Amino acid sequence: MLEINELRKRFAGGPGAPAAKIALDGISFAVRPGEMFGFVGANGAGKTTTMRIVMGVLQADSGSVTLRGAPLSPDDRRRFGYMPEERGLYQKMRVAEQIEYFGRLHGMSATAVTKATDDLLEQLGLTERKNDAVQALSLGNQQRVQLAVALVHDPELLILDEPFSGLDPIAVDALATVLQERCRGGVPVIFSSHQLELVERLCDSVGIVSAGRMVAEGAVADLRAAERNELRVVVRNPAPGWADGLPGTVTVDGDRHTLRATGGDDQEILRRAVKAGRVEHFGAEQPSLTEIFKEAVA
Amino acid sequence: MNGLMLVARREITTQVRTKGFVIGLLITALLVAAVSFAPKVLGGDDSYTLGTVNSQQLPLQAAAPDTTFEWRAFPDEGAATQAVLDGDVDAVLVNGSKVLTDGKIDDELGVLLQSVNREVKLGAAGVSIPPLQMQSVGADTRYESARAGIAVVLVLVLFMLIMGQVMMVAMGVVEEKGSRIVEILLSTVRPWQLLGGKILGLGTLGLINLVTILVVGLGSAMASGIATDFPPGIPGLVAAVLVWFVLGYAFFAALAAAFGSLVSRQEEVGSVLTPLTMLVMITYFVAFYATNDATGTLATVVSYIPPFSSMVMPVRMAATEVPLWQVGASMAAMVLAVLAVLAFGAKIYERAVLRTGARLKLGDVLRTK
Repeated sequence: MLEINELRKRFAGGPGAPAAKIALDGISFAVRPGEMFGFVGANGAGKTTTMRIVMGVLQADSGSVTLRGAPLSPDDRRRFGYMPEERGLYQKMRVAEQIEYFGRLHGMSATAVTKATDDLLEQLGLTERKNDAVQALSLGNQQRVQLAVALVHDPELLILDEPFSGLDPIAVDALATVLQERCRGGVPVIFSSHQLELVERLCDSVGIVSAGRMVAEGAVADLRAAERNELRVVVRNPAPGWADGLPGTVTVDGDRHTLRATGGDDQEILRRAVKAGRVEHFGAEQPSLTEIFKEAVA
Repeated sequence: MNGLMLVARREITTQVRTKGFVIGLLITALLVAAVSFAPKVLGGDDSYTLGTVNSQQLPLQAAAPDTTFEWRAFPDEGAATQAVLDGDVDAVLVNGSKVLTDGKIDDELGVLLQSVNREVKLGAAGVSIPPLQMQSVGADTRYESARAGIAVVLVLVLFMLIMGQVMMVAMGVVEEKGSRIVEILLSTVRPWQLLGGKILGLGTLGLINLVTILVVGLGSAMASGIATDFPPGIPGLVAAVLVWFVLGYAFFAALAAAFGSLVSRQEEVGSVLTPLTMLVMITYFVAFYATNDATGTLATVVSYIPPFSSMVMPVRMAATEVPLWQVGASMAAMVLAVLAVLAFGAKIYERAVLRTGARLKLGDVLRTK
């Protein structure tokens, strides 16, 4: 289990630089083995800073990151896979060599890295491009190489900053499949994204960051349950005043009356609606992650 | 293999595979070979073709054992004059009393002919003059011009190689910073491993260049015969030059990495490195000045002061005899300076390399943590 405890980070301002900014204001969360954790938040909320601190690329002012209860060491981090927000590859290096180089830096042996690279290239459909220079590849393919660089050493944990940005829907699905496979294999995956439907679809847990703090965290279903669930009833052509005395508000659109209510006795509402007219819809409205997000960061 | 060696190996293999490196190395080798043969081709003749008309050949060979003489006989003065004008012979001795040349005679040949002629005539008259004993009471100056020449070439080679490799270090740092590869790299290796590997790898390439130059240079010098003019102690000088290259390169490369890490775009490398290139140039100029006055106070003093010592001391070593303790002291000072600069460079690099965007100011980087 990876635990992030009370991380704080302040970037100093300076002459010619932006004013001092508090990037992280005591952010905490935990990711369990085999869990896919979606990290969402507005631009500048602190997602990238958090990931950089976990990867040891930045130092926190205070707080800690622990793996199985012990502080993260450089050796632990070498077993992580990382895809930074700003993609970076050696443009003139060949695809396979590049992946192998990073595999070696992660401590793999020469023979193991060759095999892992071939497998990954196969899996990502890049086998024919293995001897091409990275700069000759399309952006989508470069992104795949970037992912291969993060995956080559069979990481113990994956940290991916905006892995889906700039990908077409097919590439998104392909990447999602790869991540889900790793996740089922017990590898925790932390990724940030602005594509909330995607996060909702893929993730077991979600963390919503705002202004350097975790404002909501947990399973998507739990977050929904925590939200006030709204009852929505649509009645066609009801008798006037049918909803008098019921909680909530009625909106009228032609002969369709819609009642939105929170709280109250839903069975009583249903009985009154049935009596009033033809009930077209009766149900609890599940807030989407987008709504939860907007609510949380508001 | 640890991170440092992996990084160094990548630098070497990536560079060695480029056309630029291979072609550059070939051109360097050709240039060096050409320079080594040039004195043979352009320089003063070590052989003369002489003619005689109605004269005895003079025993020039005995007076100048290092020079070869070829003699031709001409039937009359007219034929001899034509041969001189055609450049077939350098000079013709006519009737044992007159020398024909095309223009003023070569100084060395003229003196030689006069003195040998005098000796022969005197010998015929029964007078023999024992040759003067030459004895130097000062330093051995036989090799002075050869030494100065070697010093000039050496300092130029050191300057060009150090400058070239140092630029590569800075450009490599900026490549990694600008493309943000450094972020992935730094999640697997420590900053000092990344920086050290880069400096080590590019330094090895510089050494390959230097060794090529030395081997080709010495090889062609031996092949062309000018190696016979070399002063003793060349192997020691070669070893010292290798060490001085490593020290000088390490010093400037650490600074180049530090300055390079302040910018994020290749276009800015030139301007951010200006103070450093100035320093390398000044070092070169001081060393070049020292080739003229290797025993002067300035050369002696500066040959102890890093980083100037990295070029001035090799010049002194090439141009004069330098006591070993002086070389040792100068190297020790340089090693200390290199260690200090490496620590400083690594600190700047570590703090600046992840701060992409606008050019950073050195002062700000030093102040902020």
